[in-house]
Amino acid sequence: MVFWTTLLILHALLAVALLGAITHQTVSVWMPVRSAAGSFVGRYRAVPSHSYATAVVVLYLLTFVLGAWIYTNYRYTSRLALEQLRFFKVVGAFEVKEHLAVIGLVMLPAYWCFWRQPLAPDHAAARKQVTLLLAVLVWANFLIGHIVNNGRGFGS
Amino acid sequence: MTASRKSVVFAMAFGIAYCVIYVICTEVNLPLLTYHPATGDVGLFYQPPGRGPAMYWYGWLLTALIGASALALIATALPEPWVQRVITFAAAFAVLYLIAYTAALVIYERATMELDFLKDRSWSAIVALGFAPLVTLFMPGAWMQRIWPGWLWVVPLGAAIVTTYYLTPYFTR
Repeated sequence: MVFWTTLLILHALLAVALLGAITHQTVSVWMPVRSAAGSFVGRYRAVPSHSYATAVVVLYLLTFVLGAWIYTNYRYTSRLALEQLRFFKVVGAFEVKEHLAVIGLVMLPAYWCFWRQPLAPDHAAARKQVTLLLAVLVWANFLIGHIVNNGRGFGS
Repeated sequence: MTASRKSVVFAMAFGIAYCVIYVICTEVNLPLLTYHPATGDVGLFYQPPGRGPAMYWYGWLLTALIGASALALIATALPEPWVQRVITFAAAFAVLYLIAYTAALVIYERATMELDFLKDRSWSAIVALGFAPLVTLFMPGAWMQRIWPGWLWVVPLGAAIVTTYYLTPYFTR
């Protein structure tokens, strides 16, 4: 129990770091500041977006591997309990999460190519769109993970 | 250093192919292996649940990994306009199939007589197969010169929508 809980917390911490990195990059690439940033929001937007690419890839891989490992325990402990309690929406939400996680994972090679320096101008639009979709997937998975954990997570 | 064109083609073809194969694997259930988490046993291909549940997700990942890697390698060896044409054809087929099958189901539901053949998916596939080459043929030539990088968000987004749609029974019980 302690082992799996530790893994789950580590998975969540990595997800928080990933969420921060991909959100920062998405905001800075979609809403770049044109002049000197003064406010907190302006400084948030002013970061060099390309500097996050490697961090996003590494954090995504680590979060995915840990999640895939924890999944084995979830499948025959928490999920069985959720089904007995008829929490089908929570079970379904987790099923959505496993698919979205895979889709995000397989976008990473292209995402990384698009962000390689020097940035290719003919990939500018795709770079923005792929980054946005990746951010949406990461946010969705983060929120679903939180909901599932509330359903049958730590201490329940 | 910027990524070489071949590695970009590989990465794009891999991402697109993986999404498509993964969706097929989840729908038809084609796992390369089955994991039984209660006992720790691993079996080749599909295996029914034994003592405790069976997990196919890892098997789907591996099936899609092998298929997508092979297709991406082939894509790097082919001229880029060919690859773009194949992807366009596959995307047109998928969209047309979806439209044809939805229309068939709507007609089936509203018809005053029994039209059971409309529930057969192969009819929708035949219709899509008939029109997809036309769509591919009438695409502007300039658009067919290189792989469109936008596929890398269009196809994953489509895969996300389809896989989520298939899970709606969980939310409507």
